Amino acid sequence: MSEILIQTKKMTKYYPTGEGQFAALKDVTLDIREGEFAGIVGPSGSGKTTLLNIIGSLDSQSEGEVLVLGQEVSKLSAKESARFRSNQIGFIFQTYNLLPVYTVYENVELSLLLLKMNPEKRRQAVMDALEWLGIADKMKSRPNQLSGGQSQRVSIARAMVKKPKLVLADEPTANLDTENSMRILETMSRINQELGTTFIFSTHDEKVVKHLHRVITLIDGKVAKDDNRTGV
Amino acid sequence: MITGLAFKNILGNGWRSLINVVILSIVLTGMIWMQGIYDGWGRLARRQMQEWEFGSGHFVQKDYDKYDSFTWDDSQAEIPSSLQQLIKDDKAVPILYSSGVLYPQGRMTPVLVKGIPAGQTVLSIPSAELKETDTTSGFVPALIGSQMAKSSRLQEGDIVTLRWKDVNGVYNAADLIIARVIATPVPTVDVSQVWIDFDRLNEARALENNATILVFKNKPESTDLGADWRYVSTDEAMAGTDAMINAKRAGGYVLFTLLLFLSMIAIFDTQILAIFKRRKEIGTLIALGLTKQQIIRLFTLEGILYMIMGTIFTGTVGLPFFYYFATKGYPIPQEMTGYNIAGMSEAIQCYYSPGMVTTTVLIVLAVTAFASWLPTARIARMKATDALLGKV
Repeated sequence: MSEILIQTKKMTKYYPTGEGQFAALKDVTLDIREGEFAGIVGPSGSGKTTLLNIIGSLDSQSEGEVLVLGQEVSKLSAKESARFRSNQIGFIFQTYNLLPVYTVYENVELSLLLLKMNPEKRRQAVMDALEWLGIADKMKSRPNQLSGGQSQRVSIARAMVKKPKLVLADEPTANLDTENSMRILETMSRINQELGTTFIFSTHDEKVVKHLHRVITLIDGKVAKDDNRTGV
Repeated sequence: MITGLAFKNILGNGWRSLINVVILSIVLTGMIWMQGIYDGWGRLARRQMQEWEFGSGHFVQKDYDKYDSFTWDDSQAEIPSSLQQLIKDDKAVPILYSSGVLYPQGRMTPVLVKGIPAGQTVLSIPSAELKETDTTSGFVPALIGSQMAKSSRLQEGDIVTLRWKDVNGVYNAADLIIARVIATPVPTVDVSQVWIDFDRLNEARALENNATILVFKNKPESTDLGADWRYVSTDEAMAGTDAMINAKRAGGYVLFTLLLFLSMIAIFDTQILAIFKRRKEIGTLIALGLTKQQIIRLFTLEGILYMIMGTIFTGTVGLPFFYYFATKGYPIPQEMTGYNIAGMSEAIQCYYSPGMVTTTVLIVLAVTAFASWLPTARIARMKATDALLGKV
């Protein structure tokens, strides 16, 4: 059995409101193992993005424990947290979040610049990622010259180029048509199988849910259902 | 890496970047040019005053006070014997001062009479004109400046009566003939002054070989000429003019502080707008592994790069402008020659010293860095999760 990559114990997240506080996540306890292709599903406002943000060290829980790759992420300093994200986690966003003034190549290269990789290796890694995702011919294009599907491929290339152990994808297909959604999912599934990268999606897209090996359903901030389809 | 990112962002901003660079460049050009004008004016005034009044250093009789006209009649002493050879070699020149009254067209005008050896070349006063070629006429050749000529309505060839008092208190008078009206750029050798021959003035005042000031062509080897004389360096002699130029410079600073302030508002606004427009980018950079401090550095550096590019722009596009004013000079309007300030009579050639240029660039750079950094405090307060959603 593979190692536990993410472990949350009675995790709760409160947001302050005018009258008091609102619990976005309540007592969430989860184990996610290395190599999983898991999704957090649920209606809008159920806490999917909040959970991903806490796992990704972009936010911190109010109560409970969160261990990611053996690190208690809420106890990391700002600098350690940034280094942790840079080294270990890839992010894929619903709106791609590509930097508009950079070319495709430069957007993908950005992740490696932060790792201070030597130029020769960096170039090779970027080209490998672009070719792997079938967008090498677009390397000199700017984001505004790409279609939605191509933009999301660049976003995946940017997340994957540093070969992270964990990729967090927040509604990656929400802005794509069915055909592009399928292609993106197939690409991510291939990465998961060939490289063993752990994927966690937040989604309420049925097309995505069908591809997931594990579906964690959140309702009103609580884990309502945890359906592991691999039988592990 | 941050520098590379900042540079790419600036290039990616296109026209907005160019406008910022051009505005900064205009401010920088203006500031350097203005300083160049004042420094050029100072150098010109110094050169003119050295040529016409002070030489490379001078001594004044110990009782002489240029601000107290009552001291002038008693402020003279015998020229030290050690200077005789220098004067003979035309490396030093004695000048005797005396108060007097001129009567042009019957009007009474108090003047300072200055006696200078005819034919000396230490100062630019054309004293060769003071030689008495016609000893039968009884008229004493005199020089006056163009402003004196204007105010007293005298011109070349005019005869005018001068009255003075000798050292014994006896009044005497003589008729002067205006040998030449001199166009001097230095008002302090022109306004209310009459120049006659040194020996003639000594004789008229019942003195012999006395002087009020001793002007040296080259910097004197010793600053001690005995108890009767006090050394006045060029810096001391220029102190009043320097103070006035600095006062004018301070007035100019007000204008450019305003311009600098406006350009800083442009930078500040660009930064505010950039932070607002690029909040998703900020969130993405945090997600990719940049700390907020690194992002603040990135934005601040972008502002500083505008300034660096503005400096390069100024150094290239502004070079012909600077060169023109350094060689052709800034023409002084005719009206300003009546301001009685040295250096106001000919085109002022800008002088750009490396120290002045460096200081100006550093000041603008520091202010730009501050204006670029100030809005980034917003980034420090920004939550990564909100930024990713495009919220501030």
